[in-house]
Amino acid sequence: MTVKEKINLLEELLLVEKDTLKETTELNSIGEWDSMAVISVIAMFDSVFGKDVKTEEIKKFKTVKDIIDRME
Amino acid sequence: MADGIIRNVEIKGIACAVPEKIIRNETYASVFGEDKVKKFINMTGIKTRHVAADEQCTSDLCYVAAKNLMERLGWDPSSIDALILITQTPDYAVPATACVLQYRLGLSEDCIAFDINLGCSAYVYGIWQAATMISTQNINRVLLLVGDTSNYGINPKDSGTAMIFGDGGTATALERSEGKEIKYFLKTKGSGYKCIMVPAGHARSRSKTNMKSSDYELAMNGSDIFNFTITDVQKGLSDFMTQYSIDKNNVDMFVFHQANLFIIKHLSNKLGIPLGKVPISIDRYGNTSGESIPLTLVDALGEDTSEDSIKLVMCGFGVGLSYGGIYLEMKKSICLPMIYTNYYFNGDDEN
Repeated sequence: MTVKEKINLLEELLLVEKDTLKETTELNSIGEWDSMAVISVIAMFDSVFGKDVKTEEIKKFKTVKDIIDRME
Repeated sequence: MADGIIRNVEIKGIACAVPEKIIRNETYASVFGEDKVKKFINMTGIKTRHVAADEQCTSDLCYVAAKNLMERLGWDPSSIDALILITQTPDYAVPATACVLQYRLGLSEDCIAFDINLGCSAYVYGIWQAATMISTQNINRVLLLVGDTSNYGINPKDSGTAMIFGDGGTATALERSEGKEIKYFLKTKGSGYKCIMVPAGHARSRSKTNMKSSDYELAMNGSDIFNFTITDVQKGLSDFMTQYSIDKNNVDMFVFHQANLFIIKHLSNKLGIPLGKVPISIDRYGNTSGESIPLTLVDALGEDTSEDSIKLVMCGFGVGLSYGGIYLEMKKSICLPMIYTNYYFNGDDEN
């Protein structure tokens, strides 16, 4: 999966417009980044990447890059 | 793993009573904003909830369910050997609400009566407790009551909890029955005790002077509970089904605790269970805590008068953190239709 595909996946998940997020985008600047988004991201890691990512880890993420790096 | 087979016990009937008052979650748009409420409804699936009136307690809903069930089964009150109530919203701090209900339901003084404090896992623990008593003791009939008025103690301005819970009371009749069996597993992950918690109001906070009003309200960490469900609960249920050779293709219905629609769907997908086998009540009744499994059964089967038997897996998980599952066969016709009630106890003798 390319970086662009990963970002598009995240955009779809967070219900934000396509091609609006960048790797450097800070998560706290995204209006849709809330407790429900955290659950969606945990579910995405589990179902798409087979990874068990805990809440504490996601809370430490600062930017979009932190999320897509974990998708490796 | 705590698991096993309990023999010679059968569920004879299940009844559920919910408050008549319905709250529509879309009305919260004025409190939390339209977008947030829409997103909440989409994710949790909760559109409406039945919410108890101020005077209406857990005991009142369970009382109505139990009365109707005893009438339907023709069970004389004196024939009931034990009454177990599982709730996290008892009528009083002291005494146990089960003792009050033994009196209100007109049960014999030879009847065992006690409360258990569990939430989302209440039903599977209750079935295990009641069935074990029948299987191993000189007890023939048990009334298992599971109910909560979870909206009591919720901050209506907390978007994390205000729109989630529905109230209800259920009654399940268990009886000695040669040849019938119930398979179960039960587990506890107490390290997650803070995930769903009301920190104040009991002994741990008695000498503290700096408690805030929010400490008396239910606090919930949704993402940690989600993690727990898709890892621990999923593994526990999978291991149980493998160990007891329960083939998911031969199970007619998987009844999960109605935590939220997103969790139920994700858990079902992960277990490879088609959603057509997973009944849903949360859309109309909300997260109904410990009573969600029997409520969902009544919602799905309450109008079904067929004498056909179905194979069921039930799985409860949540506050504690506590979880477990049950596998059994029962007739579809044992569930009574859903009861809607405004009834509450006014202190007069009901017998």
